[in-house]
Amino acid sequence: MVDYTALLPIGIVIATAVIVLLTGLFIEQKKILGYITLVGLLTSLGLVLKGWDLNVAFDSAPFYGAIVVDPFAQIFNAMFLIVGVLVAIAALKAYGDNPRQDEFYSMMLLATVGMMVVAMSKDLLALFIGFELASIATYAMAGFDKRDPKSIEAALKYFLIGGLSSSLMVFGISYIYGLTGSTNIDTIASVFGANPGLATTPAILLAMVMLIAGFGFKMAFVPFHMWAPDTYEGAPSIVSALLAAGSKKMGFAAAFRIFIVGLIAMKVDWYIAFMILAVLTMTVGNILAVVQTSVKRMLAYSSIAHAGYIAVVFVVVAYDPAPGVAVIHAMTGGLMHAFSHAIGKAAAFIAVAAIAYMILSKDGKVDDPNHVSNYDGLAKRAPMTAFLFALLLCSLAGIPPLFGFTSKFVLFLSTIEAGLVGLAIICVLNSALSVYYYAKVVMRMYWGEPKGEAFVESSTYTFVLAIAVIALIVLFMPLPGMVSPGDLVYQWAEVAAHAVTGV
Amino acid sequence: MIPLQYYLLLAGILFAIGAYGIMTLSNGIRLLMCVELMLNAANLNLVAFSTHINDVSGQVFALFSIALAAAEAAVGFAIILMVYRLRTEIDIENVKLLRW
Repeated sequence: MVDYTALLPIGIVIATAVIVLLTGLFIEQKKILGYITLVGLLTSLGLVLKGWDLNVAFDSAPFYGAIVVDPFAQIFNAMFLIVGVLVAIAALKAYGDNPRQDEFYSMMLLATVGMMVVAMSKDLLALFIGFELASIATYAMAGFDKRDPKSIEAALKYFLIGGLSSSLMVFGISYIYGLTGSTNIDTIASVFGANPGLATTPAILLAMVMLIAGFGFKMAFVPFHMWAPDTYEGAPSIVSALLAAGSKKMGFAAAFRIFIVGLIAMKVDWYIAFMILAVLTMTVGNILAVVQTSVKRMLAYSSIAHAGYIAVVFVVVAYDPAPGVAVIHAMTGGLMHAFSHAIGKAAAFIAVAAIAYMILSKDGKVDDPNHVSNYDGLAKRAPMTAFLFALLLCSLAGIPPLFGFTSKFVLFLSTIEAGLVGLAIICVLNSALSVYYYAKVVMRMYWGEPKGEAFVESSTYTFVLAIAVIALIVLFMPLPGMVSPGDLVYQWAEVAAHAVTGV
Repeated sequence: MIPLQYYLLLAGILFAIGAYGIMTLSNGIRLLMCVELMLNAANLNLVAFSTHINDVSGQVFALFSIALAAAEAAVGFAIILMVYRLRTEIDIENVKLLRW
């Protein structure tokens, strides 16, 4: 008898999605649905944290090895659920009076389910279904403000590029299937491991190009990034939070599983590609972020740059000839950076939503509430929001009292341990460049001339930002007399790294 | 029995037509059709490989992928409909509020 309790977290999220969708049909006061969503997500998050080191493979019916619950899946599940909780609390404020809010919550929950399925899948079919579930739900969410031309444009661009990326992905998968005769990632790994000669055949090269392009679109690597700034800028800010923090990490979860587990024997084919993509992505992302005048668009480009940092994991894992400590550190650092970026970027987009909300409700009609000139003197007009936003930007920049520093440090350290000094220098220079545009916003908030009188700060938004900032600080600080939470995350990521790289 | 290469060639041609359409067309519906064409090329590949190696999982994959394409098209048409309501046209060349 197989024990299915490991699947309880995802089961709870599915059940909550169905309950929210059905209840929404019959009730008038829909605000309660937001709280139901939150309870579901928090219960699920609690169960994931409790079972963080579970390692259960479902090899018999009805899953036939398609689903596995290992520390790697659990750390991504925790990430998706934390982002879900932050977005759900912010949605209480942003869509509290919207008559269609039940659709928002159920789509958000279904997107979370899709992301969790991707993290737990050990079979390309399950992975593809989870990927599409999350994508289709987020296409609709990007266009949720359907009277806003920008939101619809964001949804249109996201949808067309998303459809293109999934067809590239299936095309690549079809060739992998044709070469190995299986869609199970472990079987694929053993077939390729037994036939290293396949690495030079045209079929595998074609499959590799298609897969890298397909996932590259999802993770917004340069040159597949064009949709990302437009979509993140046009979509409602709290949806951008879900896209940048959740959907993008799902792309990484899938790519880690496919490339680092399934196609590791073919690494000669892909590691140079990932090295070029990583360097291009972080450099172009950072340089374009510097010239932006919209804070939301700046965050979108910084999100691209962070994808470049995480892509370093692929390079280090494949480069190291004798897999050892560098591989583990790279994977650990990659997972930790995904974690810190998920919390930091989700909260930063929510902060943008909060500030735009205050500006629109106080100053009336402005052309672009996200324009950086509206942030002048924000520290005097909305002190709490400005302070928390500044700390979030510090975490994204990797400044010490916050978790963003720890994760970046572990990740960059691994490149030096692997002997990729050139790559390490590029990473650090990029990181330094990124401080410029984060600091620019903080400067304007603290030293700019205020454009009007003080705002009334929304307690809901402030609460979300406070949770995120406290989480980022607590994860960094050593606590006296007990194990610090940051160490626990490190251990978790390390166990996950061992699980996924097999070192 | 038609050899496997012919199927792969057909799928490759379909895929190329779809990719060419994505790059050159600007009508929203036509772009959606091109995406579907590329997806169906991949499905054809899956089914051809599945018969070739005598394993059924490729056909199962193709069935799932057809169902997902239908769901994707439903959301896609809804989005294109909203574009039409706002602008009374679906030429995406003119959808350019968001630019750097």
